[in-house]
Parts: sequence; structure tokens; C-alpha cells
Amino acid sequence: MRTRLATPGLLGLPLVWLVVFFLIPIGIVGAYSVDALHGPEIFAEAHNVTFAGWTHFFHSSVYLGLFWKSVKMSLIVSLVVVALAYPVAYYLALSGTKRKYVLLLILIAPFLTSYLLRVLAWKVILGNNGVLNSFLAWTGIRSADHPLSQLLYSRFAVMLVLAYVWVPFVALPIFVSLETIDRRLLEAASDLGASRLQAFLKVTLPLSLPGVIASFLFVFIPTVGEFVTPSLVGGPSGYMYGNQISDLFSTGFPDWRTGSVLALFLLGVVTLLTAAFSRFLRLGETASA
Amino acid sequence: MDVALSKNARRVLRTFFGLLVVFLYAPIAILLIFSFNDSDLPTFPLSGFTLRWYHQFLNNADLRGALETSALIAAISSVGAVLLGVVASIALVRRRFRGKGAVSALLLSPLVIPYVVFGISLLLFFHAAGIPRSLLTVVIGHIVISLPYTILVIVPRLTQIDVSLEEAAADLGAGPFRTYRSIILPLIAPAVVSALLIAFTTSFDEYAVASFVVGTRVTFPIYLYGALRFPNRLPQVIAVAVVVMIVSLVVVIGAEVGRRVAERRLDAVA
Repeated sequence: MRTRLATPGLLGLPLVWLVVFFLIPIGIVGAYSVDALHGPEIFAEAHNVTFAGWTHFFHSSVYLGLFWKSVKMSLIVSLVVVALAYPVAYYLALSGTKRKYVLLLILIAPFLTSYLLRVLAWKVILGNNGVLNSFLAWTGIRSADHPLSQLLYSRFAVMLVLAYVWVPFVALPIFVSLETIDRRLLEAASDLGASRLQAFLKVTLPLSLPGVIASFLFVFIPTVGEFVTPSLVGGPSGYMYGNQISDLFSTGFPDWRTGSVLALFLLGVVTLLTAAFSRFLRLGETASA
Repeated sequence: MDVALSKNARRVLRTFFGLLVVFLYAPIAILLIFSFNDSDLPTFPLSGFTLRWYHQFLNNADLRGALETSALIAAISSVGAVLLGVVASIALVRRRFRGKGAVSALLLSPLVIPYVVFGISLLLFFHAAGIPRSLLTVVIGHIVISLPYTILVIVPRLTQIDVSLEEAAADLGAGPFRTYRSIILPLIAPAVVSALLIAFTTSFDEYAVASFVVGTRVTFPIYLYGALRFPNRLPQVIAVAVVVMIVSLVVVIGAEVGRRVAERRLDAVA
């Protein structure tokens, strides 16, 4: 008697969907990056495959420089975000407060509201005629003729907004890793004469490291390819690698081959990072918290 | 003695938590205040109370159209993603097969692809396949990015359900579909609803991928992005922002609380 649905019947549709609308599209980017495809024609005539786009990319100081700039910005954002979230997660997980889940929800809730609208809020706040400058002028702290002009459309604005957007999210994996630490380990450390600081450095911190690394990657991976926030609050100095990719596909001066090379390079870096740290990313556990 | 925190450290951390919450909510509060401010520019000093901006956005046909388009796309793509997510989760939790690691890695991989890369991949794919951009192309992209979230919500719930319930149903003569319909689906229903809401809000809010594959009917985030370049539309955009943020907060928090309550009750019965 057949009592179970067959595995292919269950997995067929999701896998076909991801192969057709996820893997094949990435393959097509690969085809564009080596000139196997270009222009509007449908898989048409064979083109001369050339790696000129790739060679050009690896010899271009502009694209690689922009990539490093994005990596640096994204690293700073990820470090700041983890540094802000860690003490808060530590407080919620280990202080023994009864309302820790309510407080955690308060912390995470902003992440569940619209991304674009949270960026919008900062645009309103940081502008030359924005909330912050008009407040400073109104209260007489700073003259209205000399507003803080570097607030919006700067690298600083991009990093501030990205940090703002991601802080609530990373608190969760860090909280989970701290929450699962056996408190008896800390008591044992204390009984053996360790100070709180020593117990933290030798027990708590190492045990929470997987959560910290996971959080770091959860911020770094999406922010290194970010283009929406820099295009809204970054101006020329906040321009990132993701903006370059996006612009190469926009209507102005499209260059699909170069854009494809840039996109695949980013995807390669992100994939390597994910694979290297996959044992820290235990997605299922984070989700069930 | 508390081994994790001294009294002073606790006080410092509590203050730090408070400051971080202020940092997180102040921008939202500022939008709320200025959505009622009677001035074209969001600047201090405040210039009186008005509901003008809310009226304006309610009467703005483009904006309402964009909200409707996004709601439609979110409804279709969330149902699609959850259908795929349920069957994939059942296979991952209840079946043994070769290459499971690779399969689950593929199913979750849309979580870690930069959206700009996925956006241009779909753009080139639809272009190469000769498929014109439309609502459908946005739906297709949103199903891909929501699918892993639905799996992350449904899998933990499925692992909690005792396999013996299914075996008992089979012993009592229920066929595979009957077992799923009358045993599994009711038990995972709270997780399914929660997955639906997450997929819906993900799609409703999604700008990056949609910006590459959207057709002539714009979605709400795309309308919003465009409106940000026109200062005279800013006040109404702020008013919409407040409404959308509050609705999404209420829905998401309500869903999470509802899911926990419902699962506790179901577990008590089962």
C-alpha cells in the first residue's frame, strides 16, 4: 500500500522553479559576460565567445577600486552593527529579565517595516533643509546660514542608514547563540575563581562566536552589493559597486557585458564567503527561535 | 552573585538598550510627527496640525494604483511561494534522499544572493527568452526570493509534529492525500499563515529586484522611489509611509503572537 507522496512529486515543482527562474538566469548572465549572448535576439546565432569583458575588469582600477570601497564600507557597517547589537543581545539573554521576548520583539519590529520607508525617514532627517538642521537652527545651537552640509549625500549617510537598517536584524542570531549557553558553565567558571570578565572572555564570548559570525555575514552579504540606499542618500561620494552594476543596465549608457562581469564577480565573492562560513549560518536554528 | 552581570554592568546595558531603542524608533516617530505638520517642508519649528497630507494621498490615483498593484503582486506571489514552500518543507523533513544537502542549499540560496545580481539575472533571462516585463515577471521574481523564508518558517514546525500521527492515519486507512489534508495541514496551519504574511510583506516592500523586471504598471516601492525625487510630493509620501509602517507592524506582530498561541493550542490537543 502506498502511504506516502513520492519525493520527486514533492520536490519537483520548487526545484524546477528555482532552476528555471534562479539558476538559468544566473547562467544567462554568464553567457552575456563572455559575449555568447547580446542584444535583443533570442538565443540566436552563435557569437564569438570572448573573455575580453573579464580581462578588462581585472585590469580596471575603476571597477576593482569601487569594489574595495564597497567592501570597506560594508565591513565598517557590519562591525558597527555587531558591536551595537552584541551588548543588547547580551542584556536580553543573560540579565534574567522576565520580559526578554517582548523586549526582543520591540528591538526587531522596525526590521519588519518597509526598508524603503526607513531610508526615507533618514532622507527627511539629514537633508540640508531637513529635520536635524532646522532643529539646530531653530534652537539656536547652530546658525541657519551654516547648516551641517555633509550629512546627506555622503559616504557617512550611507553607512549610518545601512547600520540603522540592519541593527535590529542581527540582534536575533546573537541573542540565540547567547541564550543557548548553559549557565552552569558560567557558574563553574566563577566557582573556579574566574572574575566576570574572565568568564566572559573565556566562556561566553567564544561560545557566542558562531552567532556573531553569522550576524556579521547576514549584514555584510546584502550590504556589499547594496544600491538602493546609496542611490537615495549617498550622492557621488557614497556611490557603491551595486550602483555601478545597476547603472550598467539602466537606460543611459547600458553595457550588459561589463555589467554581467561585475555582477558575477560579486556573486562569486559572496558565494565563497557563504560556503567558507556555512557551518556558522545554521539558518534553521535562527528561524525557529 | 550573578555570574553574567554585575549590578553596574546591568544598569549600563539597560541604558544602552534604551538608547538603541530610541535610535531605532526616533526616525519613525519623526515621520509620524511631520505627517501631521501643516507645511510643505519637513522642518522645525512645527507649523500646526493638518490632515491635508492624508487627504492628498487618499485622492492620489497613481499612488492608490501602485498600492493596489503591489497588493495584487504580493497576494499572488505569497500564495505561490507558500505552496512551493510547503511541499519542499515536507520533502526536507519527512523524506530521505540523496543530495539532500545540495537540495536544501539550493532552496535557501536566494537568501544570500545580492538582489542587484538576481534582478539583472532575471532581466537578462526574460530578455533572452523574449518575455516582456509585466506584473507576472515581478511575481516570478518575488516567489523566488520569498520561497526560502516560507521554508524557514514551515520546517521547524514540521519537525515538531510526531511522525506517528501520520503512521496512525495510514494504519487507519487514510491515503497520502487524506493524511496530509486532515492531519498535517491543520497542524502546520499557523506556520503556513505566518509564512504567507512574511512572503506578502517581503513582496509588498521589495524594490531592488522589481526595479529591473517591472513593466508599465508600477509597484508601490517603485512609485515611492520615484516620488522621493520630487520635494513637493514629500509630505504625502511621509503620510503614506506612516500608514504602511503601522499596518505592517500590526500585521507582523499580530501574526507572530497569533502563531505562538495557535501552535500552543494545537499541541495541547494533539
